[in-house]
Amino acid sequence: MLRFLVTRLRDGFVVLLLVLVVVFFLSSVVGDPAEAMAPADSTPEQIQRLREQLGTDKPLAEQAVDYFGGIAHGDFGESLWQQRPAIDPVREALPATIYLSIAGIVAAAILGTVAGIIAGTRPNGIFDRVANMIAMAGISVPTFWLGMVLIVIFAVRLGWVPTSGNIGWKSIILPATAIGIEHGGRIFQLVRSGTFDELNKPYVLVARSKGLAGRVVVWKHILRNAAVLIITTIGWEYVRLWGGAMIAVEVVFAWPGIGQLVINAADRQDFPVLQAGIIVAGLFVVLSNLVVDTFYRVVDRRLQVA
Amino acid sequence: MSVVIETRTQATSTRGRRVRDIAHAIGSRSWLIWVAFLAFIVICAVFGAKIAPHDPLEQSLLDRLKPPFSTTDNGFHFLGTDALGRDLFSQVIKGARLTVFIATVSMLIGSVIGISLGMAAGFYGGIVDRLIMRLAEAQTAMPMFLVAILLIILLGPNVINLVLILPTLVWPTFARIVRAETLRLRETPFIEAAVAVGCTGRSIMWHHLRPNLLSRIVVLGVISTGQVILAEAGLSFLGAGVQPPDTTWGLLIADGRQYLATSWWLTITPGIVLGLTVLSLNMLGRRYANLAEARR
Repeated sequence: MLRFLVTRLRDGFVVLLLVLVVVFFLSSVVGDPAEAMAPADSTPEQIQRLREQLGTDKPLAEQAVDYFGGIAHGDFGESLWQQRPAIDPVREALPATIYLSIAGIVAAAILGTVAGIIAGTRPNGIFDRVANMIAMAGISVPTFWLGMVLIVIFAVRLGWVPTSGNIGWKSIILPATAIGIEHGGRIFQLVRSGTFDELNKPYVLVARSKGLAGRVVVWKHILRNAAVLIITTIGWEYVRLWGGAMIAVEVVFAWPGIGQLVINAADRQDFPVLQAGIIVAGLFVVLSNLVVDTFYRVVDRRLQVA
Repeated sequence: MSVVIETRTQATSTRGRRVRDIAHAIGSRSWLIWVAFLAFIVICAVFGAKIAPHDPLEQSLLDRLKPPFSTTDNGFHFLGTDALGRDLFSQVIKGARLTVFIATVSMLIGSVIGISLGMAAGFYGGIVDRLIMRLAEAQTAMPMFLVAILLIILLGPNVINLVLILPTLVWPTFARIVRAETLRLRETPFIEAAVAVGCTGRSIMWHHLRPNLLSRIVVLGVISTGQVILAEAGLSFLGAGVQPPDTTWGLLIADGRQYLATSWWLTITPGIVLGLTVLSLNMLGRRYANLAEARR
């Protein structure tokens, strides 16, 4: 177990380092932030001055030392637009994103798991077909578009919930539902086939022949055996959320989180904030990955033998 | 007792069977709908604005923000008009071209990279395998969508840069599945025979492995085309995709957003077209996968 944790931590660290390298490589070698930032009518001298201000005129090696050294000390540079450390706005936006990600994954988990188990125990029934179609449709449309459909119906037409922002508990309902339908659709498909597979195993037959009620067999026996699969699937979907699925949803609902911040920073060509946002999101991808992997390992003892 | 049960089950089963037969007959042919829809989209993509009922760029400020099915002096507007009085249906048809082009090219680039690397990893094993799979793993563990935004903001949003960045979202899946299949096939007698006869690695991969991987690759290709369409829509929506006057469905959805409260159709209808396209790809991919599985 300890060796497993150490390897996983090392892998996670390597991935994070790779994110840093890619971000550095893109900003210093492939692109020129000063060029992208400067207004279209600026003179070469002005662009050069901007480069000096950003430090992108220095030799590449020196830039790399500054960049990696700074990040090691938690220094992501100065925000060009807010005139304060770039990590500060990211730190302020982080709680809102964590809140949304948890609300979204809870909605997805409930929708996907309950519907998946019901559908899986009655394959090809009416419920199975309808739920399957909804799940397929849910994973086939962009989440941000789904969010806008929900806004039109529930916020504009019915006026039940606010259209955007984070004001009171009602604000979380629509964005979490949008995430829930899409990611719940994927969870549904895996839970459904997992339940269906369990249904045909001998122990279910034994439980049935003992005379246990169908409900008990499903919710006590099958659910317990499919739990590892279900929780792992939910975990992967959570990782996907941090990998970028949440950004457009945040923008649609004007949710004051990291996605919204990163897009605003991109609009204003505020590269330090953009970089800090990407790196923090990368950190959460790596961390949630680590948790899912470790969970899988701890729960399913069979994997340790193999 | 038993007689009663028997007659009852028989009665329900005859009626039930007839209903089920009809449902099955419709259900088993429903894939034709998806094929027809995709064919329509491909026709739109090939002919573009030429088959549109209106000039997609023709403005008419008096006829702005008309709802679907309205008629103006310029004629009938099936999906209504946008904020500049342009016909939305014609714009959706025009948008099909770039959407389909970007998705197809990105998927092809990504699949070629993924298939080559996956095959090499599965066939050679050892250090090659470990290196390639680590790379695929790291790539999946990165917030690629954010990295794509950074790259496109730096290099400028245009079609070429989109086609360069989108394959990075596709190739790891291809690599993983092709590697697993290659590992399985490598143990089969016909590959062992090819090795024994003295075929080179490259020739085995091209002449023996590739044809056997084809059905898996087709399924993956169909489904990942849909994934690329969704990713492109996301990037275009966030302003990191194509720029006007070019149009994709994602950009149409984004453009309509500021009129969401009053003119919902500007956002909703392009999204329905996009969603139906991805749904068709998903349904056909799954159907083909089931058929290939059954044949095995």
